[in-house]
Amino acid sequence: MWMRRELRHLAMARRNSLTTVIADVWDKAKHLREAAEEEERHVCKAWKISSQVVRPETTTTATMAPPLPTSILLLLAVAFTVAAATATSPTAPEDGIRVVSAEKRIDLTGPIVKVYLTLKVHNPATGSDASHVLIAFTPLEAQHLAIVKATRAEGKRKKKVYVPLPVEPVDLAANAPDGARLYSVSLSAPLRPSETTTMEVFYVLTHSLEPFPAEITQSESQLVYYRDSALLLSPYHVLEQVTYVKMPSNRVESFTRVDPTARSGPEVKYGTYKDQLPYAYSPILVHHENNHPFAVVEELVRKVEISHWGNVQVTEQYKLKHGGARHKGVFSRLEYQSRQSISGASSFKNLLARLPPRVHSVYYRDEIGNISSSNLRTDSHKSELEFEPRYPLFGGWHCTFTIGYGMPLQDFLFESEDGRRFANLTFGCPLLNTVVDDLTIKIVLPEGSKSPQAVVPFLTEQHLETSYSYLDVVGRTTVVLKKKNVVGEHNVPFQVYYEFNPVFMLAEPLMLISAALLFFVACIAYLHMDLSIGKSQAS
Amino acid sequence: MQAAVSSPVPVAWYPALAVLTVAVGLMLTASFFIYEATSSTRSRSLAKEITTAAVASVFLGFGSLFVLLASGVYV
Repeated sequence: MWMRRELRHLAMARRNSLTTVIADVWDKAKHLREAAEEEERHVCKAWKISSQVVRPETTTTATMAPPLPTSILLLLAVAFTVAAATATSPTAPEDGIRVVSAEKRIDLTGPIVKVYLTLKVHNPATGSDASHVLIAFTPLEAQHLAIVKATRAEGKRKKKVYVPLPVEPVDLAANAPDGARLYSVSLSAPLRPSETTTMEVFYVLTHSLEPFPAEITQSESQLVYYRDSALLLSPYHVLEQVTYVKMPSNRVESFTRVDPTARSGPEVKYGTYKDQLPYAYSPILVHHENNHPFAVVEELVRKVEISHWGNVQVTEQYKLKHGGARHKGVFSRLEYQSRQSISGASSFKNLLARLPPRVHSVYYRDEIGNISSSNLRTDSHKSELEFEPRYPLFGGWHCTFTIGYGMPLQDFLFESEDGRRFANLTFGCPLLNTVVDDLTIKIVLPEGSKSPQAVVPFLTEQHLETSYSYLDVVGRTTVVLKKKNVVGEHNVPFQVYYEFNPVFMLAEPLMLISAALLFFVACIAYLHMDLSIGKSQAS
Repeated sequence: MQAAVSSPVPVAWYPALAVLTVAVGLMLTASFFIYEATSSTRSRSLAKEITTAAVASVFLGFGSLFVLLASGVYV
């Protein structure tokens, strides 16, 4: 546009017959035009090759959005130019594994992103036995990755069983391009040459839905961005692949097109793409409505106190936050209550906690005192505590509260064969559909417990401390487990083993008995002493 | 196999046990003070005093433990 202005200048200048000015401006304009053309050509090239975008504004947001690392864009451009240039490249990865077909299902229906991958992996006849298969994540994904699980289908048709496979992150030293993080899935039986197997990989990403607009009023609905790749990021050649993105509602503002792309209602299908090179990447951006409660527990401290007198007492301190689009403007309680369907659609006012069966003395309170808005339903398999915070939570709002309950000891404490005792407890957070940023579990063992050892199926930070409670002398050994980024899939049993001599159980009654005895001895001593000031009658 | 570990006394008995032991303990305490008040300094037997005190404190000790447990303070 301002090129045109320059030209107008040029015309004016010519009219004024200032030849020096003409030459100068003409040069400038020419230079500018060339630069603009060059830039345009460049952009077109990059985007035509990689992806065609539905709307121009999506393109601009995609390229302008700061969280999307430019390195990924670069990677994409490089990957695609390479892919275009050498479709049948001979540079296969070392172990020669190929992904025959891949299906990636991205579930965006909740506040937490769940991805299901089905990989049909083939080991070529020329290769050697493969004991593990690698899966790759972008650095951003790896940062938000809460859990990765893998299973392998074994047996034929009706006798098909899914065997869980161990997944471990590969050393950063492994040279994956552009900082891609590799996770290694160890196969239960090695994959022999010219054998094919099907693997199911499931992973959960937290904090991956970015609210856009970032601030909404009470009557607005929450829209979020989700960024991923249409192509499977894999260290292997992928022969055939499809990506499905499932959204919670039909309201999809925009989505990136990477042809062939098809949308049917709340689902967008990317693919089928054929013959992709390792580490192929094609960014997609999906902008959709998601009014699910984005309940984020910023900090959760669970204290589990084991008493050999028949109780396991759990106290949970929550710092809860609504992690969705921030609330803007005023909050009208009247509007919120009278038009619940449209007002505060993304807010939430109640939460559900799934507790073990046979819980007793459940309480729910905060710093002020008891909060009366809670319901407890119990059956033989579970207890459900439905409770309401003191106020409905809108985006960016916080609330803190405490939940406590007791559980019968015989459900959780066992004696192992080697004579040690172990508590079998559940990891994670009992609240459904929440992310816990920072989880601390403190297991307070009875006084006199020795050599505690926690057995948790995943990596946690562990240390010991001493805590004091009723009738303690030396303090109780406390095992502290810490983990960041915890989701519902982490609610699995874990064990804490410790040695305990039952004689130590008598410590508490003996203390009480000696206290009473001390009182009696004091009485006897007082009555046996003659404390009168006057002269003793006897003498 | 692993065996569940339960409390030495069933949890349901705690309230009854608390009432019983505290009652016995208080009665023994009462008899101890009645004996102290009614007997003269000379006729007192230290052995009897000590025995009553010991038995009373055992009952009161366990009694207060069961009171704590019955009221939900699991020590």
